[in-house]
Order: sequence, then structure tokens, then C-alpha cells
Amino acid sequence: MDSQAVKRTGRWKSRIASELVEILGAGAVISAEDELIAYESDGLTGYRVRPLFVVLPSSTEEVSRVVGLCNREKVPFVPRGAGTGLSGGALPSREGIVISLARMNRILDVDIPNRVVVAEPGVVNISVTDAVSAEGFYYAPDPSSQIVCTIGGNVAENSGGVHCLKYGVTTNHVLGVEMVLPDGEVVTLGGPAPESLGYDLLSLVVGSEGLLGIVTKVFLRIIKKPQMVKTLFASFERIEDAGASVSAIISSGVIPAGMEIMDNLSINAVEATVGAGYPRDAGAILLVELDGPEAEVNVQVPAVSGILRENGAIEIKLAADESERQLFWKGRKSAFAAMGKISPGYYVQDGVIPRSTLARVLGEIGELGRRYGLRVANVFHAGDGNLHPLVLYDPEVEGESEKAEELSGEILRVCVDVGGSITGEHGVGVDKKRFLPLMFSEQEIDTMNLVRCAFDEEGLCNPGKVFPTPRTCVEPGMQKRSSETAPAKEMGELF
Amino acid sequence: MVSGFHVPGSGDTGPDVPEFGFSPEVVLYPETVEEISRVLGFASRNGIRVFPFAGGTKLFLGNPVGAVGAALSLKRLDSVLFHEPSDMVSTVECGMEVSEFQNAVGRENQIFPVDPPRLNSGSTVGGLVSTNLCGPMSTRYGTCRELILGIRAVRADGEIINLGGKVVKNVAGYDIPKLMVGSLGTLCVLAEATFRLYPRQPFSRTIVLGFDDHISCSRAAGAILAADVVPTCFEILDEKLSSEFAAAPGAKRSLLLRFDSFEEAVLEQVRQVREITSGDFASFTEIGNEDSQELWDSAREFPFSSGAGFSSKLALPVTASIEVLSGIESNPALLGVTARCLSRPARGVALVSVSGDDQEAVRAARFLENLADSLGGRIMFSGVRRELREEVKAWGDFGDALFLMKNIKRRFDPGNILPGEKIFDAN
Repeated sequence: MDSQAVKRTGRWKSRIASELVEILGAGAVISAEDELIAYESDGLTGYRVRPLFVVLPSSTEEVSRVVGLCNREKVPFVPRGAGTGLSGGALPSREGIVISLARMNRILDVDIPNRVVVAEPGVVNISVTDAVSAEGFYYAPDPSSQIVCTIGGNVAENSGGVHCLKYGVTTNHVLGVEMVLPDGEVVTLGGPAPESLGYDLLSLVVGSEGLLGIVTKVFLRIIKKPQMVKTLFASFERIEDAGASVSAIISSGVIPAGMEIMDNLSINAVEATVGAGYPRDAGAILLVELDGPEAEVNVQVPAVSGILRENGAIEIKLAADESERQLFWKGRKSAFAAMGKISPGYYVQDGVIPRSTLARVLGEIGELGRRYGLRVANVFHAGDGNLHPLVLYDPEVEGESEKAEELSGEILRVCVDVGGSITGEHGVGVDKKRFLPLMFSEQEIDTMNLVRCAFDEEGLCNPGKVFPTPRTCVEPGMQKRSSETAPAKEMGELF
Repeated sequence: MVSGFHVPGSGDTGPDVPEFGFSPEVVLYPETVEEISRVLGFASRNGIRVFPFAGGTKLFLGNPVGAVGAALSLKRLDSVLFHEPSDMVSTVECGMEVSEFQNAVGRENQIFPVDPPRLNSGSTVGGLVSTNLCGPMSTRYGTCRELILGIRAVRADGEIINLGGKVVKNVAGYDIPKLMVGSLGTLCVLAEATFRLYPRQPFSRTIVLGFDDHISCSRAAGAILAADVVPTCFEILDEKLSSEFAAAPGAKRSLLLRFDSFEEAVLEQVRQVREITSGDFASFTEIGNEDSQELWDSAREFPFSSGAGFSSKLALPVTASIEVLSGIESNPALLGVTARCLSRPARGVALVSVSGDDQEAVRAARFLENLADSLGGRIMFSGVRRELREEVKAWGDFGDALFLMKNIKRRFDPGNILPGEKIFDAN
């Protein structure tokens, strides 16, 4: 759809602008060129497209009417939350409309006994926890951008965070959604009940990268805050030993809430920025967060400390209090931003690998970095094998950004070669769609298209994303049959 | 018998086949995914409907199936294909029995934490995924939906597809493996599935709390849900089941909990439960791991073990799944039938068995359907006698989702080669 964007006339644009204003009011329709600039990209700023209009609906009905208009006029539309996504999922379509959910930012219901919060998509992730914290609950998925990213975006990308190993990702915490389908119809899938019956459509919608419709209400599962949280910090001479510690901890029967590794380059970037107290000469550091009933954590802390020691930890520290714990995490959470201190540009990747291949993959990433003449910093969710290699480059040096992008692609190939994935939490978007065939055959990508067609026959909803090449929806018919059909009994001859 | 297939009534002595409720012309036993692909390719070209099955232990789920040309057994795909203990991930063929798979990963001190009905009588991995009937351990570990990472399956047109992956975090493409969970084999034939595993916990303890009235039981259940304890299993039994499971004979209600962790952590959680519920329970019994086995077997099999009448599963909000027991017990609409009820509050699930004569059973089914609806939940029925099937359909209202579900089915299998009527009532 994107590559075949229809060029619209000025007259058509004014008519559509009037209709949008009629639906939403003038204050909710952006059409001035200078104001549209802010919506040209999301967190993946290398890709930019200026939309025709940006609209800011305030209700499901308004979203439905706008989408209905888009459907009637065959205008592509792109849903947008806070625009913090890192794969270009909210990149506008040419000659399309961006539907920002920023004004749909109310928490509609807090139901502690049923452990459910009902939120509009524009609610900021951390606000959900803030709404239930006093009652001793929280919302578990915690992407690094949680103070700005929105629930709608989290649903679209199936966002993760640093506590996924134990608590899962967004799909494990969404019980239901109300959504506007690409023809404008409003449906509710799931609801406040933890389980549902029939086809699990909700699992398709979560992580669909905004291609199946626009979510306008989300039923979120909240969970009890753990009675105790303890964070261990360990430094290692070699990153491989940090990796081996991760496998050993899990093999021992302990599932930490989170395990994060940073390599020497990342440590130094962080120390130059926030001064988290990480040892600059360490080959790697590992953060292990243990949570749960007090009695359980009290047994786990010495057990994990012992494992870290056995695996060559130079220094092991247990956060003495909440402020020290926050300091341990401060470095990790500022790692991406800190790269700006040591490099004018960086390219972040999101590959996933089986934990058992960590040493091999890190070795290959190092080798690739040397071959391309670029530094690669490694920061990753070690427990679930989600790597975030940061390829450092100088955009002022001609050809270096292309080299960085190519190197990032090579890293993804390595991830897939060892049985992993091209993306663990950032999504495919426009950024990684060309790599989807590394993981999936044409038939498999066609199968994904069957899902998209079941929701969006016209292909108007966030087109140009995820799928490596444009795919249309062919009206399903009966399979082409043989002119003379064979009886079932002949099937015995098939093997 | 010819290797690989069996023609019922041909005089061959074929392998045991379950009672399908329909008469396939042929029963096929492929040994590889490529053979399944050939079967479905041939079937779709010739308009032959194919019914996939494995253990055949849960054929009572869903609507009855119409005419089918071939029944396709997955029983010969029964191996563990991959298990990397340090990744806690394993890929298994769908004809393997769940208990065998659990034994296989257990050798590495890991668990595949599901306990479906018929666990020890032939329940297979494929059946588990396609029915998503999970037992008491779903309180802590969730259902198959939370455990499945990837699939190898064959589409109705014979295409072999691998979707998802072998890592615990993966957002590349739509989560089609989860779509297969609970789809009753109506979208694809599953050949292999990859699951996340968990470490076996070193110590386990079961406790049973008996109550003299439902109010104190509900209060205690609410207190446990709000407490700093993490039970692996947590069930509420009504009066009849409290006695029949020999959990707390004579009690009006009972709570059944199991904790798995380090010994100190388990004992501390048991102590906490005793403390926070001490004003409510009439009896409190601790049971060691082996002695509790029979009790958990009973909870796992309910309500599909009961002979007469029908069973139903209600998917409800958490609080409704606690209160629903009283609604069922005291309602005049259920006079004349015998109803038993087990609730799994952390999952919002209530399981009900009903036995009684036809007219009363139908009235009870209507009542349960309305009850689920009024509580904001969904319902399914199973094991409904043939004579009642016109009046008691397998599925309650799917709400808004129905037309999208139909769209999905139409896209995946436009010829209805894999009997969609299991979910979509032919009427």
C-alpha cells in the first residue's frame, strides 16, 4: 500500500480535513506542515514520512468514525502512542493519516479484588502501577521507556522489560481489549476474566504492531507487589563468566525477576554519564534481582551469591537498601542514553538467542565489530537471551551509518542462526521487515497474512510494516479440486 | 492391516481407535510431518474432510463432528526432538503423551508444568494444546498459552509451517502458536510444539482448609489471594467435592492449596496461610507430597471424570469465580439435579458437573449459561448426551469475537477440511 500511495488533490484534502474537523473539532486535527513534523517518525528517527493529517481523538466513537472515513476513502492510517517505538511501527504512511491516541489517556477502572485495571491506550505505562501501588499492586511489564511509553504502544509491540523472565511480557498481562477494526467496527475481545474461550484472538492483537486495528481500551492484569525484592550486583573479568552464571542460576531452580548483563564498553559509557559505581575495569557486570515471599528470597540470595562466586565473580554486592538498589539499576536503565557520551551515533538491535549460545554469539558479535571497524556495546536481558547490541558509529563519517546498519543486520543473522529471533520486544516495524525471511518462509509469512486479512482485507491499517513485501488479501475460496475426486480410502497409498 | 492406515470394517485388525461419534472411511497413522502434509494436500484437492486426533481422550469437547473421510492419528509422532536444559526449552512431537514428556524433561530436574485431565490415561501434547484444558497448576504457571513458544504445523492445504520460535521472548510476526491453543484442531494439524519449561522445586506441601459456611470460606480465599504467598495450586471445593475427594469430609466448603519451593519458603507460606485464615477455617490439615497425590488427581480430573450428565467450564472474573459456588448451590433452577462445583480462583475458572434427568439438565444448562453471562464470563459445555445436544450447545456466547473467529477459520481453511463445526455450530 505504502509504495503505491495515491496522490491526493488539494480539493480532496480540504474535504477530508473538513470531515475530520466535523468529527473531532478543529483542535484535534493537525494539518499545518510545521506541526506535522513532530509526527514524521517515532523512536527510529532514521525513517521519516510526513503524514497528510494527524488526528487526536478523545473517544472510541471518534476513533471509529475516523477509521470509518479512512475506510470509505481508502486512506491508510497509522495508530500512534507516545512514539517511543524503536522499529518504526508508528512511521506514517505517505498520503495517510496518523491517529494519535495521546488524548485517550484515562484510567477507566481500578478493580483491585479482580486484579484488573481498565485503561485507555494513551495511558503511560508507569501510571498503571501508580494507580494501584498504594494497594500493594503493580503492572509488571516495564520497558525502559515506561515513564513515557503508552499502554496502546505496549499492546501493539508486545513490550517486555527487565522483569520478563519471571513475569512474562505484555501478552501475559493483557486480559482483553476493545478495538476499532479497520472498517470502523468496534469489538471487544476478552475482558476482565483471566481466561477466555474460543480462538485466542487477543494473542494475535497483542504484538500485531498496529496492523489489525486500533485498540481503544485495555483490560490489564495487575499483580501483587512481591513481599521482598533483593538485587545482587556482580562484576566479572570475562563476560562469558557472567553468561555462565545466568545459566547456572536458572539451572539451580531459581527464577530471578530479572538478570541484566552489561559489557565493558557499556559500563564505561554509563560511568561517564551517571556514575552508577560500576567498576570501569570489569569485563562485565551482572545484575540479579530476586523477588517473592520473604522466606523464599532469603533462601535464594545466599544460593545465588554462591553460584556467582563459583562462576568467577570478582565482586558481589547485595543492595543494602532501596537507594542502593536504585543506583544499581540507574546505570542499566541509562545505558542506551549513555552511549551518546562515547559515540555521536548508535544503532540498537533487539535480537534474541537461546541462553546456552551466549558465549558463542558474543564472540561472533565481537568478530563482526572488528571486521566492520565499529565498536559494539552489549547490554542485554540475559535471563531471556534478549540482546541489545549497540553499534556505535559517527554519522558525520560518510558511509558509516550504512555500515552500522549492515553490521546490525549481520548480528541478527547470527541470532537466527543459533535458533533465536530478530526481535524480542522492539517489533519488526519497518526496521526489520527485510529480516523476517531469515526466520520465516514465504508460506509462513503468507500464513501471517491470513491473520491480517481476517482483520483488514483492505490493508489500510498501518501498511508497509512487518511484511517484507506487500501482500494483498485474496478472497478465500474452496481449494482447487481435482476434476475427479478420489475417495478417502486412497489416502492409505500416500505413505 | 497396512502400515500407516487402517480401513475400519475391512477385516484388518487396526490399532485401537477411540469412539469418534462418526465413521471415518479410513484412519491414517503418519510418521512424519511430510506425511501429514501429503494427507492434507490430497484431502484439500479432493474435498475429503480430515479429523486430527492423538490420545482421543477429550473427544467429548466441542460440538459433534459431521461426516469425515479420514481420521488422522498423530500417535506415531511421539518423540522429544529437542531439549536444551540450560535454556529450559523443549520441542516435542504432538503425539507424545504429556506424562511421558514430563518424565523426559524431569530427568533434567525440569518440569512441564501442566496437569490436564486424563494426564495418566493417554493425554497427548497435541490434545493438550488444541483443547487447552489445564489443571490445578495453572494457578501458578498459567495454561498452555503461557508456555507455548513455537509450533510446526500443517495447514489445511498441506503447507508445512514453522511459527514462533525456540526462545522465550520473540515478537517477530503474529503469535500464531497461541492462536492454535484451544482451537480444537480446526485451523491446522499440529505436528510439533516448543514449550518453555520450569525448574523442579525441591519441596512441596499441600494444605486443606475445611469451612463450616461459605462466607468464611470466601473470606479466607480472598485473604489468601491478597497475601504474600505464591501457591502452585489453589482450588475451592463445594460441599459434595469436599467429601468425595476426601479433602475435608463434612465441610461445607474447602480450600485446597499446594506450595512448591525451598522447604523453608514452603513452610513459611503454610504458616502464613494458617495465620491469616485462622478465624475462618474449621479444620486445617497439612499433607505431604505423596499422600496428597490422590487428592490432586481428583481435582485434576474433575469434572470430566463424572459419568452422568454434562460438565461445564466457566471463565469468569476472579471474584465471580469465588462467589459462583454459592450461586450454583442455592439456586432453585438447579433443584432436581446434582451439581458439583470446583473453583480455581486465581484463574477465574469454575468447573461444574451436572447430573439429572433430561429436562432438568437442560434447565440447569440454561441457568449456568445465564449465570456466566451475568457475571461477565464465558461458558462451554462438554459431555452432553446426544439427546440433549440440540438444546445444550457446546459453546455459550462468543460475543463480538464470533465473526472474527469465523474470518480466521475461513482464511485458514476455506474448504472446512478440518471440521470447524467443533467450534462453529453448523446451525
